[in-house]
Amino acid sequence: MSASGTVDQSVAAEAHQNSIASKSPFQLAIARFQRDRVAKFALGIITFYVLVALFAPVICAVLGISPYRLDGDALNDFGLPKGSFGGISGEHWLGVEPGTGRDLLARLMYGARVSLFVGFMATIVTTAIGIVVGVISGYKRGKIDAVIGRFTDLTLAFPSLLLIIALTRPITQRLESFGIPEGNPARIAYIILISAVFGWVYVARIVRGQTLSLREREFVEAARASGAGTWRIVFKELMPNLWASVIVTVTLSMPGYVATESTLSFLGLGMLPPTASWGAMLGDSVRYYRADPTYLFIPGIALIVLVLAFNIVGDAVRDALDPKADRQNIA
Amino acid sequence: MKKRRISAAIGFVLVASVVAAACGGGSDSGSEGGTPQKGGTINILSSAESIAHLDPQRNYTGDDLAFVGSTMQRSLTTYKLSEGDAGSEIVGDLATDTGTSSEDGKVWTFTLKDGIKFEDGSDITCADVAYGVSRSFATDVITDGPSYAISYLNVEGEYPGPYTATAAQQAAYDKAVTCDGNVITFNLKSTVADFNYTTTLLTFSPVPKAKDTGEKYDMRPVASGPYKIESYEIGKSLVLVRNDQWDPETDSERKAYADKFVYNFGLDESAMDERMIADTGEDQTAVSYGILPENLQTIFEGDEALAKRAVNYYDPYVMYTNLNVKSLSCLDVRKAIYLALDRDALRKAGGGPYTGDFADGFVKPALALDYKKPTQLDGLNEDGKPNVEAAKAAMAAAETNCPEIAARAKDGLKFYYPDTEVWKKALAIWIDSMGKAGIKIKPEAVGDPAQYWPTVMNPETEYDIARGGWAPDWANASTVIPELFTTGGGFNLTRNADDPDYKTFETKIEEARNTLDRKEQGVKWQELNQYVVDRLWALPGTFTRAQSMWGSKVGGAFQWGPFGAFCYGNLWVK
Repeated sequence: MSASGTVDQSVAAEAHQNSIASKSPFQLAIARFQRDRVAKFALGIITFYVLVALFAPVICAVLGISPYRLDGDALNDFGLPKGSFGGISGEHWLGVEPGTGRDLLARLMYGARVSLFVGFMATIVTTAIGIVVGVISGYKRGKIDAVIGRFTDLTLAFPSLLLIIALTRPITQRLESFGIPEGNPARIAYIILISAVFGWVYVARIVRGQTLSLREREFVEAARASGAGTWRIVFKELMPNLWASVIVTVTLSMPGYVATESTLSFLGLGMLPPTASWGAMLGDSVRYYRADPTYLFIPGIALIVLVLAFNIVGDAVRDALDPKADRQNIA
Repeated sequence: MKKRRISAAIGFVLVASVVAAACGGGSDSGSEGGTPQKGGTINILSSAESIAHLDPQRNYTGDDLAFVGSTMQRSLTTYKLSEGDAGSEIVGDLATDTGTSSEDGKVWTFTLKDGIKFEDGSDITCADVAYGVSRSFATDVITDGPSYAISYLNVEGEYPGPYTATAAQQAAYDKAVTCDGNVITFNLKSTVADFNYTTTLLTFSPVPKAKDTGEKYDMRPVASGPYKIESYEIGKSLVLVRNDQWDPETDSERKAYADKFVYNFGLDESAMDERMIADTGEDQTAVSYGILPENLQTIFEGDEALAKRAVNYYDPYVMYTNLNVKSLSCLDVRKAIYLALDRDALRKAGGGPYTGDFADGFVKPALALDYKKPTQLDGLNEDGKPNVEAAKAAMAAAETNCPEIAARAKDGLKFYYPDTEVWKKALAIWIDSMGKAGIKIKPEAVGDPAQYWPTVMNPETEYDIARGGWAPDWANASTVIPELFTTGGGFNLTRNADDPDYKTFETKIEEARNTLDRKEQGVKWQELNQYVVDRLWALPGTFTRAQSMWGSKVGGAFQWGPFGAFCYGNLWVK
């Protein structure tokens, strides 16, 4: 055993030596990420959530469940689920909602659609704004940078959650008057919009910092000396070097937006009933902590697992993209 | 009277059990015995931001009437502050007895007791009572109160209340309500055989003219009962302390055991239930009106110790659904809504049979003389399950009979609901039920549940469907049907004035009111109940039950029949 082990190690070391020369930084990052089993598992969970959300109607149809169908037969005389653990049964895999008998698995899957859609959209919008503002601020410097910098500080100084709550009704109504369909579309638009209003600063500050240091680097100097225009420098020289930090920010901020949607729904300012939403489910379930604790755990665990998965993946991406990471540790 | 803590009550119940025996006695409605003793503080937990109205002439919510009437304000007569059937009997309060009526029942006289005083030590005189009653006519200032004085008193011409009346108008009022020493006489337009029940309402409480601050009187009314206000802060608390000018010799009913009452406002409903269950510290001497549906099983079937501190009883209310007859001026559409509605699911969402029994009309069986089971709509399931086929057929009929209204129902009906967890579920049930009959619901949430009644009672609010809950003011359907369905009624949300049958209906109401024989009158109310059920101006929901809890150191925690609430003033600390 020991002999063959030694041989394996030497072979591995040889392969290792050979591989270093042929790997780009991006490939190195991928390799580092792949070595992180927890992160791969977390990424798998996120993929699972996304697939479930995308195919929720199909899954529901196959299982014969619906997020809106009432099932009074699953409830006892008090309107609480029959049987133990919140009415978990062959028909209702995660039990039913007290009071109505709606299937919790179906509501959880449909709730994921709302949460993930809001999360992705808010992330895309904030990132786009953040990159544009950050690059302009960092590349132009001077007065523009000063003005944007103060504006960033101002935005950061706002008590954002308070404002998000306070502005829900007036701004939703305004959005409706602009022709966005009344009800949930307007609510979703509001959450995305308000996330963008407060969220871009985090991306912008990181991008600005990176841009400030990058624009002084030799390769940018070289490009400038050889007559490249601003656009070329920004898109061909700066942007490729910004992606790493942007991706990290994005993966780490995404769960925040999912949580924002849940918070608003929890407070009754998010999705309108009867639309399923994790926050609304949480808000309803806390009332049943005594009578039906299973109900409280189901949306809670779903939300925690997703947020945790995003955080793990975000951390792993940051580690993988870190240029200071030890190359020797990559097999 | 209107129903408070509406977030806990679901569906459409209109309960009216009043005076009758429904609020049975014994272990069903009260706490176990012990000898009452003086002293201590009773805490009251409430999710409301304030008492709807402390002003006696404006108070019209069952629970608040029970609270104010048993502590701070006295009226000419009062229900006995007793458990069970005795609580539905009336006795003289400020008056020496329950009044004397003329032979035709049109003139009522009451003699005031000696030694009755306001909290400032001044005597309560006949003029103070007459002035108090006159305030209820000023409906622009003294809002939300009962309108019986206006309907019954024979005041010639228009009387706008004491604030803006001309000398002539005031003289007309003074002719209708006369004072002779300590004898007050009411001249009525027509016979009211049970006017001395009307006088239990705080409309007939005295108000000293010199202390009347109009609209602001609501914040600091002058007490005539055993307790007076020490402090009152909306959203926080109301503290009552003993009124040393109240003479127990003049009051056979109020026992005034506790030294102090602290009414805590603005609490979270779940937190209230949790505190009552936990029963620690000051909450041991607390009472709380209503229990959330999710806690019913825990309290009534989980733990005997909890069940001992709680009561499950028929309260006097009927819950129901108001349909806006103006916008839904098509009986077929209204039929379709009623047939499609899953009343069983709604009841379950509210806590199942603990919510109450399915109602067959607006008069509760407890009003024995006025109740006869109305014939129900064809195809309506008695067990509360929807009849989708019949509902579809009704919609099909509507397509031919009134295509515009049918199209409106398909396009979406505005459904106003209080934005609470229980009601969000009720909304889901409504959407689901109506969807099966091809009717669409447009939800309109009212953020602050306390603003629900003011919102839907505002003529500007264009709802199609709104909830309702009502209890009779005394054991006569004259306090139910006219109040809910005539334009002069205190709680008519059906907007039925333009219905082709409305004029006939109003004539019949007058006939019933003028029928002297109480039994004959009862038959007329039975017919009118049927008349409304046939036209579906509103949809009967449940004859409600209610549940309340009290702390382990509270004595005398029975439910007071006429109000379906604690008899607050006589609670005592163990």
